Amino acid sequence: MSVASSENIVVRSLSQIGDCGLFLLRMLAAIPRSMRHYRETIRQLWFVGAMSLIIIMVCGLFVGMVLGLQLYDVLSIFGGTSATGTVVAIAIYRELGPVVTALLFAGRAGTSVTAEIGLMRATDQIAAMEMMAVDPIAYVAVPRFLAGVIAMPLLTCVFCALGIFGGHLVGVTWLGIDNGTFWSNMTATVEVVKDVVNGVIWKSVVFGIVVSLIAVFQGYTTPPTSEGVAYATTRTVVASSIAILALDFVLTAFLM
Amino acid sequence: MSQRQSYAVGTGLFIVLGFAALGYLATQTTSVANSSRGPSYTVEAHFANIGQLKERAPVKVAGVRIGQVQSIVLDPGKETADVKLAIDKRYDQIPDDSIATIFTSGLLGDQYVGVRYGTSKKTLADGGELALTRPAQQLEEMLGKFFGAGGVADNLGGSYVVKARFTNVGALSVGAPVKMAGVAIGSVQSINADPVKLDALVTLAIDKRYNQIPDDSAAAVFTSGLIGTQYVAIQPGGSPDALKNGDEMVLTQSAMQIEDLIGKFLVSGSSSGKPADGGKTDGGKH
Repeated sequence: MSVASSENIVVRSLSQIGDCGLFLLRMLAAIPRSMRHYRETIRQLWFVGAMSLIIIMVCGLFVGMVLGLQLYDVLSIFGGTSATGTVVAIAIYRELGPVVTALLFAGRAGTSVTAEIGLMRATDQIAAMEMMAVDPIAYVAVPRFLAGVIAMPLLTCVFCALGIFGGHLVGVTWLGIDNGTFWSNMTATVEVVKDVVNGVIWKSVVFGIVVSLIAVFQGYTTPPTSEGVAYATTRTVVASSIAILALDFVLTAFLM
Repeated sequence: MSQRQSYAVGTGLFIVLGFAALGYLATQTTSVANSSRGPSYTVEAHFANIGQLKERAPVKVAGVRIGQVQSIVLDPGKETADVKLAIDKRYDQIPDDSIATIFTSGLLGDQYVGVRYGTSKKTLADGGELALTRPAQQLEEMLGKFFGAGGVADNLGGSYVVKARFTNVGALSVGAPVKMAGVAIGSVQSINADPVKLDALVTLAIDKRYNQIPDDSAAAVFTSGLIGTQYVAIQPGGSPDALKNGDEMVLTQSAMQIEDLIGKFLVSGSSSGKPADGGKTDGGKH
């Protein structure tokens, strides 16, 4: 019994991953067709991107502030508080910015995308579209996917900028690190390619693709019941979080 | 329709904000952005060595920030660094014979330019120059002065051998440098335990060029740096006679164990302000 059920789990997860990959190919193939619905993409960009700005900005500010506080505390042991700016910037650019933004994005936008598409499925709206010869992949799935892929790097940049601001607020304004030292150390150490492009851009683009794919896929393939929608929403968060953290390690290993 | 328009505007704003943030990250926090705050005037200073001084590092008088380093370039054709300092307009009463020094805040801290006022009645103007400068003290140089570390002696002129007895050679190994005034003048040829006197007999091969070493000089086993390798330091004495091949150095100082040092430091630090190692030339056998 247990052997059979564990085999069942393996087979089920493998088939889920396979379905997910096939779904990605279907969406990529449908991108040219969905260009007719570009207004829908903009509307989704508003929902998943612009509406997530507040939470991203607040979280970025607090992450930067707490980093500034902790680093100042530790670095003051060595008399190296002038390195606070550098470490805040590197920590945020390389890891915290992309990862925390992606986790927040999965929770804020991924879940709502899953629930929305899942309810469309449960209330037969998707079936209705197919009957009206409207391709639901091109009209429902692709705009949300593209919006997520576009929004994630932009949100990550905003998160990072606010994080730096938060670190500056705590380090310079409150704790009295010299302003010029804070910036000059940062600008002397942080590199455009290694930190901003490899850290902020590449990671956030990959996370955007993964989180959006999982959210749209879970919504699109949810069982058409209210329970199914609830499970699909949960799975979006769980699968996205695991995928983000696992991919973060892989990406870091490659991009280092 | 108007709702759709507002979506478009909001989305456009979001995209612009995202790219603005990216631009901010890429330009303001990575490459040096030479933004000076408030009106300032520029003063030049030439340093022999700027150490780790960076652009936008603070310029201080009496510990108070009066400006920042604007640019650092190498003087064309000279081996000096041309440092331009942007000093706030408020502080326009700096005497023109003031001394600019590069200091380090703490051991691991950042470097900054400290200005000490001179006595001249004339003040620095925009584009003026601080003629009197003191370069950055390199930590390596300071440690070198402190511990007498240096390079390895070349052995072109042949060598002569002197012996020295130590009660403890520490981690001294064959081939370790022999130094005088921090300059390597030879190497350790052999280290043997004396079966009778129960101490270490060390033979030092010293370059023939250095044949004027007084025969009452002291030999000591030192460590280069805190965790560096050990070497034999020779502290010249005052005798008119020089050491010759096969002579034995009578005054020796054994290797200091770091535990001993710390012990002495703790004890002497609590009672008096005397140096922890009791001076380098205490001589005699320990």
